[in-house]
Amino acid sequence: MTTTKDFINGLSSKLGRPTPTKAPTPVEISVPQYRLSNTEERVSIFLQNWHALGGKGAIVRSENDLLQSLQEWFRDQPINWIKENKLALLAWDMLPTIAESAFSSLNWPLTRYTQSSLNIRDRYSIAAQAELGVTGSDWGIALSGTIVMNSNPLRGRAISLLPPRHLAFIEAAKIRNNLFEVLHEVSALGTPPAAIEMISGPSRTSDIEMDLSIGVHGPIEVYVVVIQD
Amino acid sequence: MKVSLFATCLTNAFYPEVDLTMAKILKHLGHTVDVPEGQVCCGQIAFNSGYVDDAREVARTLINSFERSEVVVGPSGSCIAMIHHYYPTLFEKEPVYLKKAENLIQKSYEFSQFVVDVLKQPDLGAHYKAKATYHPSCHATRLLGIGEAPLKLLQNVKGLELLPLPESQLCCGFGGTFSVKMPKISEAMVAEKAQHVLESGADILLGLDMGCLMNISGYLEKINKPVKTMHIIQLLGEGIKP
Amino acid sequence: MTMYNLTTDQRVDEALANNFLRQATRRATDRLRNNKYKAADELGNWEEWRGAGETIRKHVIANLDYYLNQLIEQMEKRGVHVHLAKTPADAVGIVRKIVHEQEAKNVLKSKSMISEEIHLNHALEKDGVAVVETDLGEYIIQIAGEPPSHIIVPAMHKTRQQVADLFEPIAGHALSSDTPTLTRFVRLQMREQFLRGDIGITGCNFAVAETGSIVMVTNEGNGRMVSTLPRVQITLMGMERIVPSFRELDVLLNLLARSATGQRLSSYTTILTPPKHSADSDGPEEYHLVILDHNRSEILGDELFRTALNCIRCGACFNVCPVYRQLGGHAYGSVYSGPIGSVITPLLEKDWKKWGHLPYFSSLCGACSEACPVRIPLHDLLVKLRMRKTQSGHTPQVEQHIFKAYRYFFSREKTLRRVLRIGAHLQRPFVRNHRISGGPPPLSNWTKSRTLPMVAAKPFMQVWADLKNKR
Repeated sequence: MTTTKDFINGLSSKLGRPTPTKAPTPVEISVPQYRLSNTEERVSIFLQNWHALGGKGAIVRSENDLLQSLQEWFRDQPINWIKENKLALLAWDMLPTIAESAFSSLNWPLTRYTQSSLNIRDRYSIAAQAELGVTGSDWGIALSGTIVMNSNPLRGRAISLLPPRHLAFIEAAKIRNNLFEVLHEVSALGTPPAAIEMISGPSRTSDIEMDLSIGVHGPIEVYVVVIQD
Repeated sequence: MKVSLFATCLTNAFYPEVDLTMAKILKHLGHTVDVPEGQVCCGQIAFNSGYVDDAREVARTLINSFERSEVVVGPSGSCIAMIHHYYPTLFEKEPVYLKKAENLIQKSYEFSQFVVDVLKQPDLGAHYKAKATYHPSCHATRLLGIGEAPLKLLQNVKGLELLPLPESQLCCGFGGTFSVKMPKISEAMVAEKAQHVLESGADILLGLDMGCLMNISGYLEKINKPVKTMHIIQLLGEGIKP
Repeated sequence: MTMYNLTTDQRVDEALANNFLRQATRRATDRLRNNKYKAADELGNWEEWRGAGETIRKHVIANLDYYLNQLIEQMEKRGVHVHLAKTPADAVGIVRKIVHEQEAKNVLKSKSMISEEIHLNHALEKDGVAVVETDLGEYIIQIAGEPPSHIIVPAMHKTRQQVADLFEPIAGHALSSDTPTLTRFVRLQMREQFLRGDIGITGCNFAVAETGSIVMVTNEGNGRMVSTLPRVQITLMGMERIVPSFRELDVLLNLLARSATGQRLSSYTTILTPPKHSADSDGPEEYHLVILDHNRSEILGDELFRTALNCIRCGACFNVCPVYRQLGGHAYGSVYSGPIGSVITPLLEKDWKKWGHLPYFSSLCGACSEACPVRIPLHDLLVKLRMRKTQSGHTPQVEQHIFKAYRYFFSREKTLRRVLRIGAHLQRPFVRNHRISGGPPPLSNWTKSRTLPMVAAKPFMQVWADLKNKR
């Protein structure tokens, strides 16, 4: 078995010098980064790109707006899903207030993933049976139409992955211009969470004759609600 | 200006008229032309095959023959690219020749590059009535960065209709020894290139490297397609005639 | 795998005779290439991005010892099991051992070129472990028992009908060959697999040294499945796949997604900083990182080829390569095909007999170098490989003699003139309509599909000398 020390020393000798003890001076990077002038623009470009990827999205300013969007997207399907499967709507423990109250107003009962079962493997089965996964987001990226989510104990990674539909909420102020800005903020966290998921549209593949096909593994339908204060 | 011609090994042996026409055009533009003795080849054929020592010997001969030249012009983007792109590596361990090579790099040009970028004479006053298309050879385009120069020369030819060549960026499959070392792959490539030439609807295929043109014309002839191929020098030379 | 038993020539013949393959290759590479151009243009100044990508990769490789050490320290500090593999056999052994210790029966895999490089599936299957490739393209070629034909689109060479036929025994009934039916079948089929997997094996696009994070991009979401659901995760990485920090990651992720498929970001970009925190509600509990050398350290120590380690595996060079365009990937015979495969395979495998043909799978047109998002001079490296092969005496004797003769005559212009005069005589029997249309080998390699102009009666040097004398 090779020890780390031997392995690393081997590389140093290939490089013809001892292993540096100090961090190398980082390279200078100057690339033109995509920037928009204000939140409004970022929201609009973010949604435009999200739509282009095949996602559905809306800006909401009030609970009424939100109710309208949810009803337009899902009609009374959730009621039927619940009839079949009480755990059909699976969510993070905490969603933005407006989302929580909209779901109660509609009487669409949310199951909290973390409480759905004590057994982690059962949770996956529950998520796989669910019809809709509901999450918040930590950041958005306007340029690529991306939502970004950190994992933590009150959230599950499977919620945005296993159900055939994923609905994400994001506050307008969390939408950044580009990936660089998001990664910069991730850096500032110190140790990142176990998983950061960046999602740009639904699951897609072009592996069969380069023919684009949606939903081979991940969610087939993706929805995003931008909450505008 | 006193211009030294680099008669590349391919044109020297197979297409002397290209070299000769190049000399005539440069004289027509008012320059003195000489053809230094001893020159043969840039060495690319051996270099690209991995025979670096053999290539170096041949390159040395070339460097020596142009040592006293003011400016060197050749009818091939590929050969000039060999000098510019690879001579520094070829002679990296020979300071004396490295210096000579650098000197040659500074004063050597592909024909269209020289006429358009150095002489600033994109309009040679040529007339030539034909429908033509132009194949941008890989080494001229990618290694020497020659983009516009040959097109400018052609756009200024009265009567010449320049048609676009589909997928023009694709290599014709010549690649020097590649064409005999990997003949089947090379054939597949030239077959596609020929197809694109036919699709262009042109009667003449133009280029600035006889290697590529020899390849494409050889294939077109084998499949009995009557598209004429010409070096841009040939077309310009004929077009300038009174 | 039958293709491994064929000679290079046979593989080339097979590829050239396969019209579907050739059309599919053109279609796929055209599409990917055009998407890339759009995505690159849109970024504003692609050359600046490429420059940054090149700088970052060179910096990482020049300091690979430091960064790799940092990565390992970060990982181990948090309880990740880091394994170092000098050879493919070591890497396979490490994975087998983990699988054995876990008593795992079902192993899920997301796309990993390293696993192809070390031929992992075969070894695990021999141990009686069920290995499921979850990337749709990889799944298709796994069933077909073939290696990938494109680094990004591994089953590009399969028709939809072939895919349907491959799926039929698994489905137990015939499937219609339309894409939605086929993908729906895979979705349902894989769902069960995902929930049953004991161990997930993933690849790694980038490893962030500063934080000890693994970055993985997929479009299907299978990478997320494999890195979320099984209790144990193993990530396989080539030891050069490092970025110093998130700052550099931005540049490389942009270059990768745009160069590979023309996307701004892939559908799923996952940054794992394993293992899961104890209170996290899901994610694997145990995490193994296997870092493979396999002669990469030899490349590191070889200044002629060091830049080959800069590759970010985007496949952009495949999509512009006129040779790949005609052949697809299988004719190369190697796991990594296309221009970068022709460069790295001989270096990784160190076997001229087996892989000596690869540096010649190029007309040296330079399209690969132009396309590379981190500016690896790929076609130059191919020339250098030919040089290495020549210098180590692995080229045919005849060829060596030809170039000795070339060297002699092409540095003696006057002598060459005499040779050309002889040539002008000798060509006569082969001349028809002023063209040469036949001849002995190796000339026949040319004349089989092309005519050749006649050697001029007088070479230009003679023409010019005569003109001068006249004056």
